[in-house]
Amino acid sequence: MSLALLLGLLGQAQAGEVTLWHAWRGDERLALDTLVEQYNAAHPGTTIRPVFVPYEALSSKIEAAVPRGNGPDLFVYAHEKVADWTDEKFILPVELPADGLHPVTVDALRLREQVWGWPLAYKSLALYYNRALVPTPPATTDALLATAEALHGPDRWGFAWEASSAYANAPWMHGFGGGVFDTDGAVRLDSPGNVAAFRFVQTLAALGPAEPSGALLTQLFNEGSVAMIANGPSFLGEVGAVDFGVAPLPTVSATGRAAAPYITVDALFLAREGAEARAFADWMVADEAAEVRHRVGKQMVANTRVEVTDPRLVAFRQQLDTAVPMPTRPEMAQTWEPLARAMRRLVRGAITPEEAASEAAFQYTIVSRPSPPAADPRPWVVAAGLGLVAAAVWLAREVRGAPIARWRFAFAWVAPAFSAMTLLVVLPFVVGAAVSLFEYDQQAWTFVGLANFLDILLARDFPLTSPLSFWSTLAVTIAWTVANVVLHVGIGVALAMLLREPWVRLRGVFRALLILPWAVPSYITALIWKGMFHRQFGAINGLLALVGVEPVSWFAHWSTAFAANVTTNTWLGFPFMMVVTLGALQAIPRDLEEAAEVDGASGWQRFHLVTLPLLKPALLPAVILGSVWTFNMFNVIYLVSGGEPDGGTDILISQAYRWAFTRGHRYGYAAAYAVLIFGVLVLYGRVANRFASRKVV
Amino acid sequence: MATLSFAGVEKRYGVVQVLHRVDLEVADGEFIVLVGPSGCGKSTLLRCIAGLEEITGGELRIDGRRVNDVAPRDRDVAMVFQSYALYPHMTVRENMGFALSLQKHPETVPRVEAAAAMLGLSHLLDRFPRELSGGQRQRVAMGRAIVRRPKVFLFDEPLSNLDASLRNQVRVELRRQHAALRTTTVYVTHDQTEALTLADRIVVLNGGVVQQVGTPDELYFEPRNRFVAGFIGSPGMNFLERLEDHVVGVRPNDVVLGAGPHEAEVEVVEKLGFESMIHLRLGEEALVARVEGATPTGRVRLDFARAYRFDRATGERRG
Repeated sequence: MSLALLLGLLGQAQAGEVTLWHAWRGDERLALDTLVEQYNAAHPGTTIRPVFVPYEALSSKIEAAVPRGNGPDLFVYAHEKVADWTDEKFILPVELPADGLHPVTVDALRLREQVWGWPLAYKSLALYYNRALVPTPPATTDALLATAEALHGPDRWGFAWEASSAYANAPWMHGFGGGVFDTDGAVRLDSPGNVAAFRFVQTLAALGPAEPSGALLTQLFNEGSVAMIANGPSFLGEVGAVDFGVAPLPTVSATGRAAAPYITVDALFLAREGAEARAFADWMVADEAAEVRHRVGKQMVANTRVEVTDPRLVAFRQQLDTAVPMPTRPEMAQTWEPLARAMRRLVRGAITPEEAASEAAFQYTIVSRPSPPAADPRPWVVAAGLGLVAAAVWLAREVRGAPIARWRFAFAWVAPAFSAMTLLVVLPFVVGAAVSLFEYDQQAWTFVGLANFLDILLARDFPLTSPLSFWSTLAVTIAWTVANVVLHVGIGVALAMLLREPWVRLRGVFRALLILPWAVPSYITALIWKGMFHRQFGAINGLLALVGVEPVSWFAHWSTAFAANVTTNTWLGFPFMMVVTLGALQAIPRDLEEAAEVDGASGWQRFHLVTLPLLKPALLPAVILGSVWTFNMFNVIYLVSGGEPDGGTDILISQAYRWAFTRGHRYGYAAAYAVLIFGVLVLYGRVANRFASRKVV
Repeated sequence: MATLSFAGVEKRYGVVQVLHRVDLEVADGEFIVLVGPSGCGKSTLLRCIAGLEEITGGELRIDGRRVNDVAPRDRDVAMVFQSYALYPHMTVRENMGFALSLQKHPETVPRVEAAAAMLGLSHLLDRFPRELSGGQRQRVAMGRAIVRRPKVFLFDEPLSNLDASLRNQVRVELRRQHAALRTTTVYVTHDQTEALTLADRIVVLNGGVVQQVGTPDELYFEPRNRFVAGFIGSPGMNFLERLEDHVVGVRPNDVVLGAGPHEAEVEVVEKLGFESMIHLRLGEEALVARVEGATPTGRVRLDFARAYRFDRATGERRG
């Protein structure tokens, strides 16, 4: 409701007023504000009102507000949503000036013979090179390979890029004659061109640093450890004291084609018809305003008449000539994960280029499989209605004869907590559960009944042993939970016992230090551990190297990736058990252990016959809580192993996340996962509670 | 069954010395009571015997074997704690059989049942400690020690959590058990009545120093110094500072009223039925007399049937 109110306020428009939503920050925002001020001053009848909306929220806000008439007149967004938004009629076609705008940027916005936005700026990958190491940038892939080979040393590499990213490999796919779509416009990931590109990627990656992530690339380039990288214009602001140049990506020697990166175009979209809005948008892409956006906002603008003087920026302009607009078709969203998954294995050397291509194609068929058929919702509505009636009757019988009037104040006191719980816990839960009965596709919700559950539980789409199947993920989740809880309790209890020993000095200091891992936000810890497990630069392999162990590729094998996850989560989890144990130990008189000692019990016997049974009442609830937390510990799985290898270390909750957000928005399917997770945990809670409620002391 | 031998036993915590050169020989089957005010080191001495505290000097032998570095579990002693230290998660049966079951002793069951019968606990064997009264718990704690048939029993103020009537009852019981089992026993208390009624010999400790070791009669009738004289006997000995060069000590029942060289004023009379406590003022000093029968008022003449003399400076007995 508050969201609707807020949207109402944002969208409130007066005559002559044009609301503009954008997510620009820093220099770009400064440029926009300058331009708006200038425009408003020059056009007394018009008021442009820019509203900043955080990028993460912008598209969902637009999708919520525009259909209800609360949206802006204009908004700035990347072009990749054009297809979705034209289908939904969120945006209107526009007339662009005849010349001055780079055709690639206009093509990006073209759909069904019409253009759907004013192209403002663009970004794509290009080649950054360290002038000290590479005097002239390689013009062909052969030259690139030769340079990479020549500069490859023990701690130095010629070229690096995010080799496991589908986005960063698109230039090679295009250059070798492949790509995501075939000439008929159908998704085809295993084309010969892609196989050739994958072979090149595998060769090139072997000459680069291991597991190159964006942050690592920045660091290595700035250290001079990597001579060339492929990166976007935002990297310009991150380069340190390196004397560098930027060039277009090389031509593929085998085909003679350019390695064409994707470009993303930031455009102004028209959400509500209005002459003032159109006039302002026309002005924004015209020379004067484009000049300001380039100079002040540091944008690579679509207007080609703006003179680009910085040679580094010129390279991006040149790159634009060969670049491919990021496809806007909805299938595109479902290709990222299959490609990335295949590329990770490819780069690791686990599979051949041919296998990678067919793997990607196979994964795509899984994530893009057709929606289940629509089901008749009527029986469900009837059942839900009957359920509600039954609940009402039950409630009425429960409260009949109860002196409600006398408890007026009690109800009043409980009301705030009750309404908060209803709003924050019960409603989302009910909505989430309801979503599991639907299938979401192309902005449309179809009622499918229990089809999602049946698909999941019967493992209809993939073999039972595939990492994508519910049951194998459940097995991994249980193994993950058991391993963690055993380690958390074991280490927590052991440390608590140790901290109690009279011979331990500085107990207070140790206690505080050992609680510290708990106090640090878990995602920070997870990212630190992720870094420590890096094959080439991680601290763990560094320590192992000291004792002569070969570097371990932690995320290449299931067991080591699982171990890395468990290690991280154990680090996060043992302090809680330690604190609980320390508290419970306070309540156990030392006498009891001394009595056992005099009675002839060894240290271990004292612990497991006397201390441990007395700790149980405190530990059991903690164990139940800890196992529920661990069962749903998304952060560690997502950030440390990321499910590698091949989704094998994914747990149910991260699997649910992937179905919802990285495998083509299968919200219904993901919600069904969530409901199943809830069911598993409720079952576990009931069983565990029965154990816990047995009176021990 | 065993002897205990202390030779110059000392205990320090850092710079604080809590036991000073304790020398003591305990005979087989003897009932020794360690008595003294709070903080005198008596519990520490007991815990040293159990092995729960390490001794920092001297030598401790159980049955001739040096045990300075022997772990508690290998000393074959049984201890009854002030709190009883019953294992709350075990039944009475499991509590009493704990030590034997650790050794997988074949006689665990019959011995537990025999001890339970002796202590009147047979019907409580399957209860948990939380379901027992204080007295019952105390007996379980004793039973747990008895079942083991150890070389030495150690008691750490076992009666202090019981009410007065129960305490008297258990005291007699303890004496009876000891008569039956004849196990060497070391018993710690701060209550001199318990000490006098239970002990074969009493060790009086003060500030970590043994003041005197002797039978109850020796301690009562021949205290070696003013501290022992004052600590043993109830009500305590009167000390008169101004009568002579030495401090004169007179037990209340040695004050004879009616005739004698001293004259005192009756201040308060406490009637206790059979006897009365007469609080007197002799010159500037207070004095208690214990009399049977009629109680005087006003000024009375008095004499001492027996008086002790202690050195004013050192407190040593002088006569």
